[in-house]
Amino acid sequence: MPVYEQTYRRYEAREPLRTVRFWPITREALRLLLSRWAFLGLVVLCWLPFLGFAIYLWAMTQFAQVPEGMLSALPRGGAVFALYFKWQLPLCLLLTTFGGAGLVANDLRTGAILVYLSRPLTRRDYVIGKLCVLMALNLAVTLAPGLLLYGVACALAPAQFVTLELAWLGPAVALHALLLSLSLSLAALAVSALSKSGRVAGLAFFGLMIGLDIVQGIVGVIAHWTPAILMSVQACINAVGEALLGSPPEDALHWIWPALALVAVWAASLLVLRTRVRAVEIVR
Amino acid sequence: MSTAPVVGAAPIEFVRASRWYGPVIALNDVTATVPPGVTGLLGPNGAGKSTFLKLAAGQFAPSQGEVRLLGRPAWGSPEVFHRVGFCPEPDAFWENLTGLQFLAGLLRLSGFEEAECRERALAALDTVALADAKDRKLGGYSKGMRQRAKIAQAIAHDPDVLLLDEPVSGLDPVNRRRVIDLVKKLGREGKTILVSSHILHEVEALTRRVLLIHNGRVLAEGDIREIRDLLDEHPHTVTLRSREPRALARAFVDAPHILTMSFAPDGEWLTVQTAKPDEFYGVLADHAIEAGVTEMYSPDEDLESVFKYLVAR
Repeated sequence: MPVYEQTYRRYEAREPLRTVRFWPITREALRLLLSRWAFLGLVVLCWLPFLGFAIYLWAMTQFAQVPEGMLSALPRGGAVFALYFKWQLPLCLLLTTFGGAGLVANDLRTGAILVYLSRPLTRRDYVIGKLCVLMALNLAVTLAPGLLLYGVACALAPAQFVTLELAWLGPAVALHALLLSLSLSLAALAVSALSKSGRVAGLAFFGLMIGLDIVQGIVGVIAHWTPAILMSVQACINAVGEALLGSPPEDALHWIWPALALVAVWAASLLVLRTRVRAVEIVR
Repeated sequence: MSTAPVVGAAPIEFVRASRWYGPVIALNDVTATVPPGVTGLLGPNGAGKSTFLKLAAGQFAPSQGEVRLLGRPAWGSPEVFHRVGFCPEPDAFWENLTGLQFLAGLLRLSGFEEAECRERALAALDTVALADAKDRKLGGYSKGMRQRAKIAQAIAHDPDVLLLDEPVSGLDPVNRRRVIDLVKKLGREGKTILVSSHILHEVEALTRRVLLIHNGRVLAEGDIREIRDLLDEHPHTVTLRSREPRALARAFVDAPHILTMSFAPDGEWLTVQTAKPDEFYGVLADHAIEAGVTEMYSPDEDLESVFKYLVAR
């Protein structure tokens, strides 16, 4: 009969659990992504619209001789930020595709998810950890430059931007950045969970987003059917953003419908993640 | 919730547990208890070993019945995994990380502080003889090194329960010996270790207590010697990858227990069929290093025949 060591052994693991259990997942994934020069270049590229808009605001306030007709054609107030986010969106789409495509797919392919789930983590912690990677990347190129742009606008043209009527503009910019980041991040993560290949997931996500946008554009133009914008995630983000930022809407559809469409996208993404993020059998 | 074990509870307990994937039953009404020490989970490929381990590791919920780990439900009790180490079969993950980064990252997930993560990671790498390769990327590790890195991540947080899925599969004889010695040492320290394998001789080198699993059911449990006796009637097949397979074959050619030998077309692989596995492994140990044996597999057909025999009884 084997005799086992019965001496007292000190229990050394952590008790209670770390409250932010997902943070090591986020940190490690961000570290790996940002160690790639090409990806860092993409992050820098995502700041170009901010630079362009900051120069535009500066020029508007510096050159009084700008022709009146040109001035009236350019956006003002919240519309500046709505336009900024519209330009920013395709770049965020690229960043999310390259940063998020393999986040879950690679773990499913290699079986790394088995190791994650053998730690004191729930599947929810895993999903939150991965979601935070994309949220951090997207917020770094939407929230940070958006608020900075708001600061620049307030500093350069206080008479135009620092008014009681526009007091909501700062929070609206933050909210729009959050909405954009969350929508893209959740959708990308869900598509990543549907595949075991990062490349396939990347192509699927980018193709789905661009494809639906093209279809929405064609249907909208040919059939003049306003609800067509509900087919495109980007169009919905822009429509809700315009409503948040007080910019005149491009479409006649009330903003509540695109907002509901985005909520549906979030719910569907969470459902996919709930179904797909689980231990897998690796068959070779 | 406390992570302390429930007093008096068996470390691993299956109570009428079943698990199916759609129409396929992977595990069928299993009731079993795994006590402290090393227990071998033995069965051919597709028998349900991995499902058994994954249920024990809380990776799946049982479709029916109950699986308890340290007295708590294995599914949905993440706090208990402070005390559990799991070594899964796949080994191709996080190829861009170094061995040290890999272990330290996983220790962070277990809630250890930064300095302690590094300290524990280094100690675990040292235990599995990978200290010299700690700064090399996992992608550049050999099969044996990856296997040992996986074992290191399972033991780095000093768990009380270890679940090892085919831990010596594909290892060369030297690394195989090293891993077997480590598992036995951990077992002697009082840890509960469940090791799955489809090779009887591998399990025999680790422990005498086995759980035999076949077609999703526990067929037998108890002393390995009783099962071992049955194997003598069946030839045992071993496939070896060697730098000099022909030299290795020359060492075996006169042994009376060798039934057949064949070479793969690529000239690196030698397949041997033997009637006396113990004697074969003894001869192999004498020649493995000089013949440059790097990998070794044993297909499970021989074990399958034992299971067929057991089922027929």
